[in-house]
Amino acid sequence: MTEGEIIDTLIRAERVSKVYSPGLPDQVRAVDDVSLTVRTGGVAVLKGPSGSGKTSLLSLIACMGRPTEGRIVVGGKDVSKLPERFLTRIRRETFGFIFQQLNLIRDLSALENVLLPLYPVPMPFSEMRRRAEAVLASLGLAHKSRSKLTQLSGGEQQRVAIARALIHEPAVIVADEPTAHLDRALATELLDILQELNRKGKTILIATHDPLVHEHPFVEQIFQMRDGRIEDGSES
Amino acid sequence: MLRHFKILEFALSSLLRRRYKNLGILVVYAFTISVLASILFLTDSLKQEVSRVLEGVPELIVQRTMAGRHELTPIQYADTIRALPGVGEVRPRYWGYYYDPLTKANYTLMGLSSDQPELQQLEGRLPTASGECAIGPGVAEVVPAALGDEIFLIDSRNTGRSFEVVGVFRQPSNLLTNDLVTLTVEDVIDFFGLPGDHATDLAVQVFNDNEVGTVAAKIKQVFPEARPIARSELRRTYDALFSWRSGMMLTIFTAAIVAFAILAWDKATGISAAERLEIGILKAVGWDTSDVLELKFWEGLVISVTAFLVGVLAALVHVFFFGAPILARVMKGWSVVFPEFRLSPHVSLYQIFLLAFLTVVPYVFSTVIPSWKAAITDPETVTR
Repeated sequence: MTEGEIIDTLIRAERVSKVYSPGLPDQVRAVDDVSLTVRTGGVAVLKGPSGSGKTSLLSLIACMGRPTEGRIVVGGKDVSKLPERFLTRIRRETFGFIFQQLNLIRDLSALENVLLPLYPVPMPFSEMRRRAEAVLASLGLAHKSRSKLTQLSGGEQQRVAIARALIHEPAVIVADEPTAHLDRALATELLDILQELNRKGKTILIATHDPLVHEHPFVEQIFQMRDGRIEDGSES
Repeated sequence: MLRHFKILEFALSSLLRRRYKNLGILVVYAFTISVLASILFLTDSLKQEVSRVLEGVPELIVQRTMAGRHELTPIQYADTIRALPGVGEVRPRYWGYYYDPLTKANYTLMGLSSDQPELQQLEGRLPTASGECAIGPGVAEVVPAALGDEIFLIDSRNTGRSFEVVGVFRQPSNLLTNDLVTLTVEDVIDFFGLPGDHATDLAVQVFNDNEVGTVAAKIKQVFPEARPIARSELRRTYDALFSWRSGMMLTIFTAAIVAFAILAWDKATGISAAERLEIGILKAVGWDTSDVLELKFWEGLVISVTAFLVGVLAALVHVFFFGAPILARVMKGWSVVFPEFRLSPHVSLYQIFLLAFLTVVPYVFSTVIPSWKAAITDPETVTR
């Protein structure tokens, strides 16, 4: 790999496998010998049916778990064997994660949920608040920042989750089935937001089985997954 | 520093979010601490009261017993005891108990000697003439009587006697003088009808504290029917008595302690799915394991310190303001017979630290440990 390719490649997975409950009767090989690369500023989609290993691979790439075998390189650094606190730092500084189930804390307000990633960061409260309000405003939620989650619609909650993923200005936005619970109009709106973020230089990595997403023109790379393996990696 | 402050702020807001659950824990926790603290404070105060009382007691008291019961002591014993090596002054003491049917209270009537410094703190003066008395605050309250009033007592010949109150004791220890009525020695002898050659007991001064035991053994040898009582024995007896009662009280309140232990154990052995998910979310959005543990540490500390302060404060009010109405009858034993005495406030820092160590520390651990189990799990596993 040339120096130019190294700079151009933000994420590289090399023969990565993930086994849950290894050695037990319920052992599952969720990711099996997967290799892929994602370019800096690119938009990549992991597509495949439920149980194909998309979420597991996405989590490994976003440093939310460690591979059982193989290695994952983020920004030129092998993160597979890093101690927990270094992994946390990379997760915090590099990735913004939008969960399939959103994983927002229900009894917090929209603003409080968005602030969560910034608590462990040495940043004054005033700056935290300014940033969170700016991100919420950019997503059209300025007027809902004090609302409890239970007072927000599904689409608004989705945007809160996006705001939380953006608040610490990560280089990569990772979204797991982002359109799973949205109607077509809201899903289109979400894709527009992601496209806009990509235009601003964010790398986007999405796991989905929704054609609306993987057939969207802004998608550059598609990795077809089945039974934990990549069947096909194509570029559009 | 800023990071710690922000995590503390988040911990406080988390506690407020779950305010009803936390309030429930706080109430149970504070109640348990207040019970434990009340028992400890009461025991310690009673021991302090006794300690103050014993400061005025002679190194050695000699009583005479017959058939195992206290009898009047012949004054001639004093000459023989005074001749023993190491013995200083030997002073006969004249005192006795008096039940006043009017107030239904027990008083201690004591013939006053001029060399009893523990009886010098009083409003007014000590009795110097027949028909005068100085009384303790408990007596003054139940009669009631003040300086210049007269109290009416019935002597051993069933004759009513009036004594003018010329002094009211104001001692640091209420136990010392609370039920006391001091008269002149002659009045006490006459009141109880004591034979002229006998006293209630003898107070023996021993020059060297280390020789008290030796002197007591010699007295016992010379007068087999005598019972020498050393001050140190009295102190040990009272300490053992109150420690035993305190132990009994703690046993009785074991149910409350066990209930709290179950609560703490429940927290220690697991956290709810919602709490586990919340930890996973925090980890996923960039919180380190140490950040999560710090958050849980602050939550545990805030709850336990608040409960501790509320519990200790409640115990202080219960014991020293209200006189520990729930516990006092068991702890004081016979001395609950009128007139009641008020405890002098005394709090040992050692006990406060001990109580904090035994309640705050386990609770904080029981909060942090289960969270630690969730916090070291990959966020992916927790949030799935």
